[in-house]
Amino acid sequence: MTTRMVDVRGKKVEVLESGSGEPVLYLHDMWDLHTAQGGMFPFHEQLAAKFRLLAPAHPGCGESDSIKSIADIDDLAFHYLDVLDALGLQNAAIVGTGLGGWVATEIAVRNPERVSRLALVGAAGLQMPGAQIADIFMYSQHRDGGIMRDLRNLLFGDADSALANSIVPDGRVNIPDEVRRYKSLTLAGRVGWEPPYLHDRKLLDRLHRIAAPALLIWGEQDRFVPLANGRAYAANLPKAALKVLPGVGHSAILEAPEQCMALIAPFLSTGALP
Amino acid sequence: MSDTGQVNVFSWHFMPWPYLDENFDRDHESGWITVPNSLFDRKKAVGLYQEYLDELAAADGLGFDGVVLNEHHQNIYGIMPAPNLLAAALTQTTKTCKLVVLGNLLPLNFRPLRVAEEYAMLDCMSNGRLVAGFAPGGGHESYSYSYSMPLARERFWEGVDLIVQAWTKPGPTSFEGKHYSMRYVNPWPQPLQTPHPPIWIPGSNSVETMYEVARRDFCYFLSTRGKLSGAKRSALRFGEVVEEIGKDFHPHQMGLLFSVYVGETDEIAREESGEAIFYFTRNCLKGHQRRKGRRLTMAPGGLSPSSWQLYLENSVVGAKMLGDAENWKDIDEMGSIFVGSPDTVFDKLWEFVDEANIGNLLIQFHIGNLSKEKTLKSQQLFAEKVLPRLRAESKKLFARKFAKKTIDVEAEAVVTA
Repeated sequence: MTTRMVDVRGKKVEVLESGSGEPVLYLHDMWDLHTAQGGMFPFHEQLAAKFRLLAPAHPGCGESDSIKSIADIDDLAFHYLDVLDALGLQNAAIVGTGLGGWVATEIAVRNPERVSRLALVGAAGLQMPGAQIADIFMYSQHRDGGIMRDLRNLLFGDADSALANSIVPDGRVNIPDEVRRYKSLTLAGRVGWEPPYLHDRKLLDRLHRIAAPALLIWGEQDRFVPLANGRAYAANLPKAALKVLPGVGHSAILEAPEQCMALIAPFLSTGALP
Repeated sequence: MSDTGQVNVFSWHFMPWPYLDENFDRDHESGWITVPNSLFDRKKAVGLYQEYLDELAAADGLGFDGVVLNEHHQNIYGIMPAPNLLAAALTQTTKTCKLVVLGNLLPLNFRPLRVAEEYAMLDCMSNGRLVAGFAPGGGHESYSYSYSMPLARERFWEGVDLIVQAWTKPGPTSFEGKHYSMRYVNPWPQPLQTPHPPIWIPGSNSVETMYEVARRDFCYFLSTRGKLSGAKRSALRFGEVVEEIGKDFHPHQMGLLFSVYVGETDEIAREESGEAIFYFTRNCLKGHQRRKGRRLTMAPGGLSPSSWQLYLENSVVGAKMLGDAENWKDIDEMGSIFVGSPDTVFDKLWEFVDEANIGNLLIQFHIGNLSKEKTLKSQQLFAEKVLPRLRAESKKLFARKFAKKTIDVEAEAVVTA
């Protein structure tokens, strides 16, 4: 695994790179690599065992420069078109989780020719009636002097699991990780806090432009971005398959890395939908 | 603020909802945002605003330098979402005191020009008595009104600059910012005070805010329930920032909020205010300055990552806050609520003037569910026994420590009628 700083129109972007083979651009979520911790989780290591994983940190996240001009998802999508250029990726397979999945989709509706495969895991971006995306900003504030269970409940199928507690512990984690998380919420706050909350009302009607096949993976217990939004993606993307993981929450790549890999690896290799 | 060579003392009001029952703390995680408004009792609300306005109008008669209003939304802590409405009422019932609105929350407004217009109206209606406060809002406000904290910070300063332009550049002008674009900036009326009403900005130790405030010659209101040591640190830091950009610091550039109950003796003061003080800490501060419940004071993006890191390094998660006070000993240790005889209260406040260079004391007399009778009594005792001493002592102190700046501040305070 290496980390390098890539110049994107005068701004530094931290890019984590690992593995060899076909390149896969990984766009991270709010509790993911670059955000919950600096380095890779098991899912990313498994992905890097088969592909050349390229994982840039969003503006203002990790060691990437913050970019003041980014004030909505449109700005972020155009930033990533610049990142694709800077990385020399003409036609990329993209894996996007949560917030990153939304960004990936926004790139694909703008420049469909730049995306060869789209794998979305619990992606934000759509909000169907009755399937409100939860208030991650308010529920990331602790209760009773340090209890983070409400956030764990949004991010994990089982809020009380050892995994959930290790990634979102009660009390304070070390200061570098606290700052990392703060940066992640700050970036998300720039593009997704104000209505429409972490979604784009125009996106649904633009999905038809995406030519690439799209694999959608959703935790059945996703209480952050409810499953109905995944069904809406599947129904409106021209070539899509939705796989629902029972007992899993929003953080499917952390909660069920093997299941995710078993679906994503063959899809990225062949483009065939399960 | 007729004589600016001494400390300015203001009467502050939150206008809380005072009719919560004893089970509120048990049944609700917060007094903010999600606190069910089915608890609002329409019958009990009759006359409540009038009572609160009367308490502030009384401060004018007692010779306070001003009264202070503030803006909060969807909570029981302060049912004052539109402070300009109340300031308008006070223009008619007060004669000489400053009307401090601290402040209008700019990110909530469709266009800051509206704030420039309303404040100009208030300045005209009060014959030049407005102190114009602008605030970006904290976590409560951004959660409550679904606005992005990181974006609000940028919008805030742009909005402030738009308002100052509206008051100082002969119109029509235009304004082209990143967030606001106004083809015609030409508000009628204009404020009476020139170049514009004094501007106060609350901050909670963010160095970015200190620089912006200092650069523009505004007053910094330290928006924390800090102890003396914290206030000293902040005042010192703000003073350094002011000097760093080549200006002189004066205590009138710093304000701080205290809660006070004055009685004839310490015992009487505690006896008369105890229920109300603990109503305030237990209920009003739940969701704000209390460990128990969900604390919503902070919001991600309100500070830069480096300021956030500094905050983390200087704070302890789960530390006791003002709202966690369970007894008088706790209250005394927290250093923000002063209950006692005139001498006791004077001594506590004087430390902040003498050691932390706080030149604007903002005093909350109505606390929690304190009755009108007790509020007026405490406020009056303060005006008779504490206020004159604060003025006399601070006059000597400021003349000794900050002589040069005093003259400048007086020149700025001239009102054109």
